[in-house]
Amino acid sequence: MNDKLRAFSGQLVAVLIALAMGAVIIMLIDESPIKVFMTLMRGAFGDQAKIAGTLLQTTPILICGIAACIGLRGGMFNVGIEGQLFLGGFAAAWVGFAMPLPPGLHVVVAMAVAVIAGAAWVSIPAFFRTRYGTNEVVSTILSNYVAVLLTSYLTIFLFKRPGGWSETPPILASAYLPELFAFSRLNWGLIIGLVLALFVAWFFRSTAKGYSISMVGSAPKFAEYGGIDVKRQGFLVLLASGAVGGLAGGIETLGVHHRFMEGFAPGFGFDGLIAALLANGSPIGTIVTALFFGALRNGSLLLETDTNASREIITVIQALIILSVSAQVLMKRRGDSTAGERRWKF
Amino acid sequence: MSTTSPAMTAPEAGPAETAVELIGITKRFGAFVANEDVNLIVKRGEIHAIIGENGAGKTTLMNILFGLLQPDQGTIRLNGQDMVVGDPATAISAGLGMVHQHFKLVPSLSVADNVFLGMEIRRNGLIDHTAQIEKTRELSERFGLKVDPEERVSLLSVGIEQRIEILKVLARGARTIILDEPTAVLTPQESRELFQTLRGFVAGGMTVIFISHHLEEVIEVSDTVTVLRHGKHVATGPTSELTKADMVRMMVGRDVSFDRRPREKSDGKVVLDVKNLWARDDRRLPALRDASFTVRSGEVVGIAGVAGNGQTELAEVLAGLRPASHGSAMLKGRDLTVLSTSEIREAGLAHVPGDRLVRGVDGNASISSNLLMGRQDKAPWSRKGILDWRAAATQTVEMIKRFDIRARGPEDTVKRLSGGNIQKVVLAREFTNEADFLLIDQPTRGVDIGAQESIHDEIMRQRAAGRAVLVISVQLDELLTLADRILVMFNGRIMGEVEGGSADSERIGMMMAGLEPKNVSDEVAS
Repeated sequence: MNDKLRAFSGQLVAVLIALAMGAVIIMLIDESPIKVFMTLMRGAFGDQAKIAGTLLQTTPILICGIAACIGLRGGMFNVGIEGQLFLGGFAAAWVGFAMPLPPGLHVVVAMAVAVIAGAAWVSIPAFFRTRYGTNEVVSTILSNYVAVLLTSYLTIFLFKRPGGWSETPPILASAYLPELFAFSRLNWGLIIGLVLALFVAWFFRSTAKGYSISMVGSAPKFAEYGGIDVKRQGFLVLLASGAVGGLAGGIETLGVHHRFMEGFAPGFGFDGLIAALLANGSPIGTIVTALFFGALRNGSLLLETDTNASREIITVIQALIILSVSAQVLMKRRGDSTAGERRWKF
Repeated sequence: MSTTSPAMTAPEAGPAETAVELIGITKRFGAFVANEDVNLIVKRGEIHAIIGENGAGKTTLMNILFGLLQPDQGTIRLNGQDMVVGDPATAISAGLGMVHQHFKLVPSLSVADNVFLGMEIRRNGLIDHTAQIEKTRELSERFGLKVDPEERVSLLSVGIEQRIEILKVLARGARTIILDEPTAVLTPQESRELFQTLRGFVAGGMTVIFISHHLEEVIEVSDTVTVLRHGKHVATGPTSELTKADMVRMMVGRDVSFDRRPREKSDGKVVLDVKNLWARDDRRLPALRDASFTVRSGEVVGIAGVAGNGQTELAEVLAGLRPASHGSAMLKGRDLTVLSTSEIREAGLAHVPGDRLVRGVDGNASISSNLLMGRQDKAPWSRKGILDWRAAATQTVEMIKRFDIRARGPEDTVKRLSGGNIQKVVLAREFTNEADFLLIDQPTRGVDIGAQESIHDEIMRQRAAGRAVLVISVQLDELLTLADRILVMFNGRIMGEVEGGSADSERIGMMMAGLEPKNVSDEVAS
């Protein structure tokens, strides 16, 4: 418990340091940090519609964050969530417009296909990782570009809606993910994300499989020694992570856009990864961090009308958070290693 | 830097009688007191041994003396003069030299380049290799430390690497040499050579401080001994007036027996039958060559050898962590070389790994989480794939009691425990799963003497329960205490087998060094 508290306060300090550095940068462009932060707050939580907008932005970040958590807990760094999200989104849209099914069933099938698409897409890096030890970080990053361009190709050349933008035909209403309120596009995706976060947390805490996977992640040599098939678990972990990444894309097309558009969800996969890292791989913690990033994104819409700051400032703040979190990890490692030496050698 | 090293000048008798005086040294790390009011007085021209359990404060004390740590309280007096040793450079200029337990050599450089690393002899701004080689040769001959100055370090054995470390210290003008557990990596013969060198040093008026676990060696080589326990100074006295039992009592605070354990003769069935087993190491070179042996139920078989002679590979092959390149290892009729780690465990293997912190535990996890490994699918730890953490905690508390693990409770993080207690966590997990074959690699490495005794007791209990036990250890006395038979490994081969009860360490030492002893191989029919 004490360790968790310390980890939490460490992350909080990292965020505060990043915000402080962000404030300095805002001052450099002759704008008041207080005004910028207040505008962000107002833009994110100012009224009912704005809160709903924030939650709408939070949903894909949360689900991508859970995808990242699954990978992190199992010792796999899935940086390809962005690509899995694009493929999942496209696959769901395709089922949505090309495959008429009864209402209810249609949504479920579309989401299942999104999940399969995400898992299938990550299975390529996962195979090479398991079979040949290819670093999954590099291969999943690269697979993002292919996924984004592949979905663009499919959209523009094979499934383009006649006239208009680079987007597929709209999906049938039977495949819509129901909305929660009349005044917002906020939909059941948020509920799915929250339930999924709780389920994943429970899975790692309380199941034998979850235990085995966590051990592969935290002490792979120990897991191998203890009779766990480390390679197999690694493969399955990447597959599960990719599946959830695909689900995030499916929820985005079925719940929000009701079609697949080229570049429909910029950066959600990466934001989710950052949210998961900031939460130390905890799915419950990711709910909080995803909300934080969702609020930043939604709040930034007001920045350009109400202040002199560009909305890119939130990208800067995110980058600063990554820097301070990773600096903290480095410092922690160093502290640990000397502690280890002291432990063994007096 | 001067090209004439002070070591080249003839030894002079200094004005002071004592080389080193540490008075009232106290050093704390947070709440932990590593040294408390410790006194150490080392006379010039003696070999002074410092003994104590792990965590007794030996290394901390030496690091303070050498300027690597600063004491919270106390005085350091070198050659009769009060000194503040702020850094190792000060210590070196005062004539101290330290040979660390882990060598710090550059493998790709020559011996001479290593000796003068950081104080290179220069001519016209360039390194003067000829002069360095010449000086190294001079030093090597003067002190009887035979090395070839032009040889590359990567080609040399551990024993020679240690000589180079000592030469480095001598080249920096050391008159007082501190050796931290110097014999841990040596064969008995190499150790003996080292002791001869050390005696040569003191005969020439130099002083040696020698940290060791090995009491036989302390008795053999030292003039004076200082005992530390729990960071405190217990006693200092002439070695000749102390017996091994006295030293152990002072180190541990009670009587401990390391005599050969009494045993019933056993005549069990063959449990493990290894035939012509070969395996490669991580560099794909043959590391285990044609090993054949058996382990019977109710028998402890020991594997002796200097570290790195194929013992690790043997253990890994038997545990399914490394593929065999040839041969078989039958455990009750199933060939381990074709099974996965989990199948091997099903077949009846319990494994205490040598690399405890990497293989044996997840240091960041709790004790119960560590004990859960391998049982996550078994009642009462889990039911239908759902873990029962409450039952796990109950089981853990029981095992903590049974194996005398000193911890605050089942949720205590493993890495907070001492080395001995971490090992007990591993033993608790492995010895309670009813396996017929126990593979125990380095049962007591880095473990306190008191805990060593209880680990040995536990191994003997397992033997009495009819288990087949294979103990791999680099500590020969441990095997002499435990084993019914001892196999000696050298360069991946089993050099021979000796009866545990009548084993003589001289002959085992010959085999550890790779010499085929006469009349050994056919002494015991297996």
